Amino acid sequence: MNEIQFCLLLAVALFSIGIYGLLTRRNAIGILLSIELMANAVNINLVAFSRVHGGAAGQVFALFAIALTVAEVAIGLGLVILMARTRKSINVDEARDLHG
Amino acid sequence: MQPLLIDLSIAALALLVFVADLLMPSEEKRGLGHLASAGLVLILLLTFVLDMQGDAFGGAYVLDPLALWFKRVFLLAGALAALIALDPAEQAFARRQGEYYLLLLLSLLGMSILSSARELLLIVVSFELMSLPLYVLTAFTKSSKLSGEGALKFYLVGATSLAITLFGLSLVFGATGTTMLPEIAANAGAIRSPLLVLGVLTTLAGLAFKIGAVPFHMWVPDTYEGAATPFVGFLAVAPKAAGFALLVRLYLVAFAPLSVRFQPALLALCVLTLVVGNVLALTQTNIKRLLAYSGIAQIGYMMVGLLAQTGEGVGMLLFYLAAYLFTNVGAFAVVCAVGAASGSDDIRAYRGLSRRNPALALAMLVFLLSLGGIPFVAGFWAKMGIFIAAWHAGLHWLVLLGAGLAVVGVYYYLRIARSLYLDDPEEGAQPITIGAPLRLALIVCGTAVVLIGIWPRPWFDTALDAAKSFLH
Amino acid sequence: MSASEAWIAAGTFTGVAFVIAAGTLIAAALLRVRARKHSEARTRTYECGEEPDGGAWVRFHPRYYLVALVFVIFDVEAVFLLPWAVSLRSVGAVALWSMLAFLAILLLGWVYAVKKGALRWV
Repeated sequence: MNEIQFCLLLAVALFSIGIYGLLTRRNAIGILLSIELMANAVNINLVAFSRVHGGAAGQVFALFAIALTVAEVAIGLGLVILMARTRKSINVDEARDLHG
Repeated sequence: MQPLLIDLSIAALALLVFVADLLMPSEEKRGLGHLASAGLVLILLLTFVLDMQGDAFGGAYVLDPLALWFKRVFLLAGALAALIALDPAEQAFARRQGEYYLLLLLSLLGMSILSSARELLLIVVSFELMSLPLYVLTAFTKSSKLSGEGALKFYLVGATSLAITLFGLSLVFGATGTTMLPEIAANAGAIRSPLLVLGVLTTLAGLAFKIGAVPFHMWVPDTYEGAATPFVGFLAVAPKAAGFALLVRLYLVAFAPLSVRFQPALLALCVLTLVVGNVLALTQTNIKRLLAYSGIAQIGYMMVGLLAQTGEGVGMLLFYLAAYLFTNVGAFAVVCAVGAASGSDDIRAYRGLSRRNPALALAMLVFLLSLGGIPFVAGFWAKMGIFIAAWHAGLHWLVLLGAGLAVVGVYYYLRIARSLYLDDPEEGAQPITIGAPLRLALIVCGTAVVLIGIWPRPWFDTALDAAKSFLH
Repeated sequence: MSASEAWIAAGTFTGVAFVIAAGTLIAAALLRVRARKHSEARTRTYECGEEPDGGAWVRFHPRYYLVALVFVIFDVEAVFLLPWAVSLRSVGAVALWSMLAFLAILLLGWVYAVKKGALRWV
């Protein structure tokens, strides 16, 4: 197994762990962490592919992806703090006033 | 530089609103709404006056007739959303108006760039620029539990879909070695790597979340119900149009050589969306949730246009988006007015609306007829056009299914329309008065819906020209 | 690589990913080492090393998160400065002006944060 395949396997494993966490975690912060894992799997992919193809496109893509994920998580944490204030809990199962 | 003029103007307007918000004393902040809506209308007029077509950044950004059509849809939706939020009865945005208009404009900028993007990185960045402000805007009524819950659900689904889309796009990049869509289109046919197919399908799953296609639709009704109504009209139209702009560029152009692989997945999504959207709308008692499910069904009809994979199909999709824009923003404007007057979004609040405000009831009737696709309003030609394009493309059974479900749709729209006129108002219901900004928005939407219904030919022609400029 | 080989590779790829994910969980369950029941070591935060001082479950003030959020955003936006600095010479004046515009917008954001009191620590 060459090093690129190893990187891709690592990325898929991280992505799968992220999805597993997303589906099983009930704590909003835990879900955010899982999404973060998935996003970082993408970065590993991008950097690995950048090595295959040469050039900087993949690495630049990864840099932008990192910045975007941070902006996104900042908003996510803001929403979680909002939830903690209005409900005194960050368990997503308790957010079920909307349904029908 | 010229092709970038529209987006630069939107960015400049956003910065102007931001700086003005920092400098202004808080009691004069209503001026920001006037500034934002007037600025957007001005930029919209600019798109008709100047000829700016061309590309920039080595082909990564393009202003073609397709992008121009989408930009006009976004600008109109943004101007109407800014206008409706100016309504004095609307309390949700009375505090922090500067932030509301700034975020609205930034989201609009993201959509506008997205419709022009022909490079994966630009697509991802503009996609995020569109999405992030929307999460915040959904949570805008901070004191409301529902608003926060709707925003959190929207956010979690959106963030997940972004991660999935990114994963798919990274695989596409890995398989093709380029981030430029034209190059991907040129190479995709020759590449026999499963990575590419996996990437294309994963990206589709991520985008399906974004446009709210079934089975990725769960967030739509909750988010609509939780968010403040003036903003929902925008949320229901603009991001979905942006999603379709991206779907057209990715799946009908860049990944077109792989259409055998993703066509079945797209078809399954389309059928599920049509059926579930129309059937679940039947049981709703909250008008915002009803419009949310009806919106999901409309997404299904638009996907039929996408599935045709012809210039005609895309043209009809563009026409549908324009009709959908006026109809939906108008319908949500009525929901705003009734919601502000009766404090409820329950369907029962619409009983006997004609006796509380005849003009408002007439407007709602027009929008409901258009949503249902009754002849001689905009929605009829929109559905008709999509079905004809799909029939020409050989999707006969899909057209029959769509037409059957459209009849189901007519039932739940007309049920409300009937109660507007024939039922008695609830006890103690007062006449409804509406403010000037909301009235203007209603007049614009209502007139457009009727005009397109009576005289659709110029709209059809422009839409077909825009689509055929890049797809035959 | 022929088409079928490629599919086998993709299948193996997916399979191994699942095996790794499941394997670590199983290995952790099998291999974990724990102190004897009812021993004093069992009740400590760390079974060896430094004794922690105070509880770990103190509540952080929300203000802390606000400042942390602002910090993280500025911190990560700075990630663009490194590639920019490396390639500035070859790209030329366009890069200089683009980065200045970027920093100006970032500065506006900072002014906003100060004005709304997000950085005030009372």
